[in-house]
Amino acid sequence: MDILVCVKQVPDPETKLRVSPSGKTFDSDGVKFTINNTYDEATVEEALRMKEEFGFSALRVISVGPARAEEALRSALAMGADEAVLIETPRDMPLDPLLVARYLAAAATDIPHDLIMVGRQAQDDEAGAVGSALGEYLGLPSYSFVTELTPVPANHLLKMKRYVEGGEEVFSAPFPAVLSILKGSKDPRTPTLPNILKARKKPLKKIPVMDLEAKVANLPGGTRPTSETLAFTLPPPRAGAKMIEFQTPEEAADRLLKVLKEEAKVL
Amino acid sequence: MPIDFELSAEQKELQELARRFARDVMAPRAAAADHSGEFPEDVYREAWKLGLMNLNVATEYGGSGLGELDQCLITEELAAACGGMTTSISANCLALQPINIAGTSEQKERFLKPFCSDYHLASFALTEPGGGSDVAGMKTTIRREGDEYVVNGEKVFITNAPHASLYTLFATLDPALRHKGITALVVPRNTPGITPGKDEDKMGHRASSTSSLTFENVRVPVANRLGAEGEGFKIAMNTLDSTRTPIGALATGIARAALDHAAKYSLQRTSFGKPIAEHQAIAIKLADMVQKVDAARLLVWRSAWLADQGKPVPLESSIAKCFASDIAMEVCNEAIQVFGGYGYMREYPVEKLLRDAKLTQIYEGSNEIQRLVIAKELLKRVA
Repeated sequence: MDILVCVKQVPDPETKLRVSPSGKTFDSDGVKFTINNTYDEATVEEALRMKEEFGFSALRVISVGPARAEEALRSALAMGADEAVLIETPRDMPLDPLLVARYLAAAATDIPHDLIMVGRQAQDDEAGAVGSALGEYLGLPSYSFVTELTPVPANHLLKMKRYVEGGEEVFSAPFPAVLSILKGSKDPRTPTLPNILKARKKPLKKIPVMDLEAKVANLPGGTRPTSETLAFTLPPPRAGAKMIEFQTPEEAADRLLKVLKEEAKVL
Repeated sequence: MPIDFELSAEQKELQELARRFARDVMAPRAAAADHSGEFPEDVYREAWKLGLMNLNVATEYGGSGLGELDQCLITEELAAACGGMTTSISANCLALQPINIAGTSEQKERFLKPFCSDYHLASFALTEPGGGSDVAGMKTTIRREGDEYVVNGEKVFITNAPHASLYTLFATLDPALRHKGITALVVPRNTPGITPGKDEDKMGHRASSTSSLTFENVRVPVANRLGAEGEGFKIAMNTLDSTRTPIGALATGIARAALDHAAKYSLQRTSFGKPIAEHQAIAIKLADMVQKVDAARLLVWRSAWLADQGKPVPLESSIAKCFASDIAMEVCNEAIQVFGGYGYMREYPVEKLLRDAKLTQIYEGSNEIQRLVIAKELLKRVA
């Protein structure tokens, strides 16, 4: 029984983004990319737990992205994944979540998978759409925002918990399936130095995006992004803080209350 | 392409691992450990778990077998969070290096493997009360009795000594033999007759532990001798040749942290109606600081790269260590100046960096010794 985890390399949250000259994306020049999206790290950890505790055999990781995305895959290999596949795109190829899902679906048909797991969303565009779309393209059921996962492999059943507004839902469903993971049951392990060195020797297969075009063309939506980004803007700079001067705590509270009511109008 | 400054993907990953550990585990503890002088052993255990200790132990004995450049990349990252913790974390590399260099495969199996399968500390016991630079003048003696050596004497300023389970000890068969009498022994801590002294109250590197070690009729099996009798001097020098460059990386890390703090502060702090970074007096300081840090890092990388090519680096490693530690002092000093009065307060991070930087000019070969080596090598070339 095999697990396939989809990961995405994202810009470091601390890096400063600039809008690209086209005004439709950010300029990737000089952007530091983190090794992995945090939701994906949680997902890899959960997938490793499936392997360690529930007898799943192989754990493969896959990513769609430019050559640098190999770093994200190596990091997952260093955490303990067995093999990796990079669907290599030209640098700055326009992609939207649905097109990414089509490429993943096209590649997944040749990769054994009883369970496909994705992070609930990437922490850069926060679209959170790849998991459901991938299920759709592969004709598999998909379950989102899973927080706890207990497979019963003998019956091909998954017992899952997921967040719903104000509470949680416990349900069971059959697999193969696509799951989007909100958080794992354990903090993602940090790859150790020896495991980073070992990860270099694990198999990483690169598939040029062109090799999958014929398959992707047959899926609804084809080889072009389904959605088009019209504009990309940075959040407005934050206004400066307002200091409230006071002599006594009572005075501070009174003045703060006044500002909140009359100026900020939040009360 | 004869020169390439690009790190490999693997090196970037090692650097990132060290950077994360430094940021998430070391940095939050650095100020408190500096104030209290505690020995944050849980941090060191965590470093061991991630494989950030014993970097120079060969893979066949369970280590990572990293080269010098890789070690330097990791050391700089760690030192940017805390110089003292980095000294304690990297002390094993120094202490185990004599075994790497001169140990038989049986000795490596016996002594190195336990360090890779479990958390242990080791200490390099060379310096004596009479001085560290004059190694050949050491007074700690060994006398052979059957299958054992009997050790008597005192070592000082030994990193991690009270916490270590193993010492690589240098002692002499006869002080009159000078460097020809020095012999290296591996001594387990639990051997009767070893007494660590009190933990020294240091100016900096306060998260590291330093003490003396007294040896009183300590019996060590001859099987624990590294190399032949009288080869200890060479073993010690070869060890220091390989750890000198990483000390340059450690100093570079401290300097980089000071520069980083100063640059960020200069954008926040305003005077005369604008951020102080916009005053030329401060901007010029920052420009000088960044030049020094960059130059130090390049000297460290060159020395480490040459060592990884198997070339001897007495000159290059001395230049790297000496330059990086000197500029670390200058950069930390200027960082305090950028912070003004706040920089002098212990509540702010930069005064600690200056205290930590100071030691890098002194330990693992004082900068005076480094300069002698540099001048000697230079004159050899022109003579």
